[in-house]
Amino acid sequence: MKILVTVKRVPDPNASIKVKPDGTGIITDNLKYVVNPFDEIAIEEALRLKEKSGGAEVVLVSVGSKTAQEQLRTGLAMGADRAILVVAEQELDSLAVARIFHKLVQDEKADLVLLGKQAIDDDANQTGQMLAALLGWPQATFASKTDSLESEAEKSGTPGIQISGGAAKVVREVDGGLETLELPVPAVITVDLRLNVPRYASLPGIMKARKKELKELAIDSLGVDVKPKLKILRLDPPPKRQAGRKVGSVQELVQALHNEAKVI
Amino acid sequence: MHDDISAAWRSFDLHAPTDEHRLLAETLQTFVAQEVEPQAAQYNREERFNLALFRRAGDLGLLGLTVSESDGGAGLDATAAVLVHEALSAADPGFCLAYLAHAVLFVHNFARNGSAAQKERVLSKAISGEWIGGMCMTEPEAGTDVLGMRSTAVRQGDHYILNGRKMFITNGAIDDRTTGDVFLVYAKTDSKISTFLVEKGFSGFSLGQRLHDKLGVRASMTAELVFDNCVVPVSNLIGSEGESSKHMMRNLEIERLTLAGMSLGIALRCLEVMVGYSNERKTFGVPIREHGQIQRHIAESYSEFRAARCYVYDVARRLDLSSFGNRVDADGAKLFAARIAKEIADRAIQVLGGYGYMGEYVVERLWRDAKLIEIGGGTVEAHHKNITKDLCRAPELIRR
Ligand SMILES: Cc1cc2nc3c(=O)[nH]c(=O)nc-3n(C[C@H](O)[C@H](O)[C@H](O)COP(=O)(O)OP(=O)(O)OC[C@H]3O[C@@H](n4cnc5c(N)ncnc54)[C@H](O)[C@@H]3O)c2cc1C
Repeated sequence: MKILVTVKRVPDPNASIKVKPDGTGIITDNLKYVVNPFDEIAIEEALRLKEKSGGAEVVLVSVGSKTAQEQLRTGLAMGADRAILVVAEQELDSLAVARIFHKLVQDEKADLVLLGKQAIDDDANQTGQMLAALLGWPQATFASKTDSLESEAEKSGTPGIQISGGAAKVVREVDGGLETLELPVPAVITVDLRLNVPRYASLPGIMKARKKELKELAIDSLGVDVKPKLKILRLDPPPKRQAGRKVGSVQELVQALHNEAKVI
Repeated sequence: MHDDISAAWRSFDLHAPTDEHRLLAETLQTFVAQEVEPQAAQYNREERFNLALFRRAGDLGLLGLTVSESDGGAGLDATAAVLVHEALSAADPGFCLAYLAHAVLFVHNFARNGSAAQKERVLSKAISGEWIGGMCMTEPEAGTDVLGMRSTAVRQGDHYILNGRKMFITNGAIDDRTTGDVFLVYAKTDSKISTFLVEKGFSGFSLGQRLHDKLGVRASMTAELVFDNCVVPVSNLIGSEGESSKHMMRNLEIERLTLAGMSLGIALRCLEVMVGYSNERKTFGVPIREHGQIQRHIAESYSEFRAARCYVYDVARRLDLSSFGNRVDADGAKLFAARIAKEIADRAIQVLGGYGYMGEYVVERLWRDAKLIEIGGGTVEAHHKNITKDLCRAPELIRR
């Protein structure tokens, strides 16, 4: 089985993000970048599936600037087998990225594609869905699991997604509960936060990553239409949080929640 | 053209010059937050060694950090070693000292100077964390004056008879009764210094006492070890008889540099605590960051920390672990980092007022820990003496 996992380079979720005064983007000076946390969960799941089946190959794919090499190296140090970086310095929308992945899935003859449910920079939550449509493959989004992240099954590295007899069983998070789906493989699966706790690289893993293949492809060499269909007009920072206030009584609190905050 | 040169130079990261350093730093960040920080207060309060955590460091490959890959280590350099000590000490300098005594004083030293046969037998156990190691130089009556040590070893047939006492040995014990597993012990053969590999259970080797009630670094165990007609097989002599003083001096360089790394971790954490608190705490109607005297604490701490960090990592960058003769900067880095970390910890307590004096706010522990670096691995006075001696012999070092 060949599992393709997508990896996006995104700003560190702990960094404080500032919008440029003209609203055309965010200020990237001195910004730290990491693997999109949802993609990290996808990598972990792929590695667990590989460890369980014994025969799988885990291939990481990323689209972005040359510096995204760093995030691919992180994934290789976690244990993925090799990586492909499609080098693109321009802005790309979700559809363009899905088309690039479509091409890579075909070229690589992958059996399963795992993606984070969304990237934490633009929160679009659509690349996986678009990719499934382009491929004509079944899809399951927001993969989660019934065991808690404190459970023994989690600690022993049991995968949450079960694959056997050409089908994948996926527990997905829906409003107010969990839903279990079965879908034939090949398939596209996007993963949610509670699927697993990703491992971090050990030193032997880091040293091995140095020797693993990281192939770069120029975006033009793929023959894919990446013309943007979407234009970002402007970015605005969220409104500043108002300072808190002390209230004198429960009554006053209830009234404030009702009349001012309008939450009850 | 000029732009290109300076752009490449600007992106060079002294603290993480390669992908391997960057990945190591990422791993450490998670390991420290998830596994080191949560246990630190308790193990230091109770003066206990966290064996399980030590073995976790073994699982991650941290114990063989600077051992060559052909010997089963990660083959990393002095920069990586400093990085690990800085990261661990930002949470738990006590645990970090136990790590240092094992990974730098025992494993690194042994991998450099042991024979292939010795390494074959011992190294993998030490790198995995199955065996806990340490290094025995100091004696009850010889610390700074290390060449004045009194321990002796006399050859008798196929073994040596080792006699002497060693003092303040980190990892000498792992609890009140049990010695560590394996030690590099310096002793005189005739009048010259040799090194012996002494293993737990050797006849004549025992725990003199586990030393309780240290000021700081309380999650590391310190002990006095006794060698009373201790029988050491000739095959456990490291290198040749009488040639160890060079090895001993060389290992002191990476020891001092990693101790300086510990000071950086302490300083970094104290700064974070101090800055965070000055944003939160209000007096006289304003956050205390508005008060000039608090600003002085923060600004001086920050600039000293940055200066120390550049110095320590620059020495690490230049240090070829197979070379000799880098004492002036190993001592210089530790001399400076130890002092500023101690002062920064002191200012952190001051900025936090009464809360700073309480264990919950961590900086009082770091304040106690910080003092060690002015004593262990060579006192401040020893560094004064060494640096002056080296500079007066070779004044060209100043312009280098
Ligand atoms: C927590 C801890 C862990 C340790 N771990 C280890 C370990 O694992 N292995 C090991 O071998 N050792 C270890 N040590 C010992 C440490 O290296 C020594 O304590 C240190 O080298 C100082 O030696 P001393 O204590 O004998 O002091 P002394 O040498 O007796 O010094 C006393 C004072 O005199 C000063 N002094 C001495 N000579 C001179 C001089 N020529 N000029 C000016 N001033 C001078 C010193 O600077 C100091 O202020 C550890 C110590 C501590 C506290």
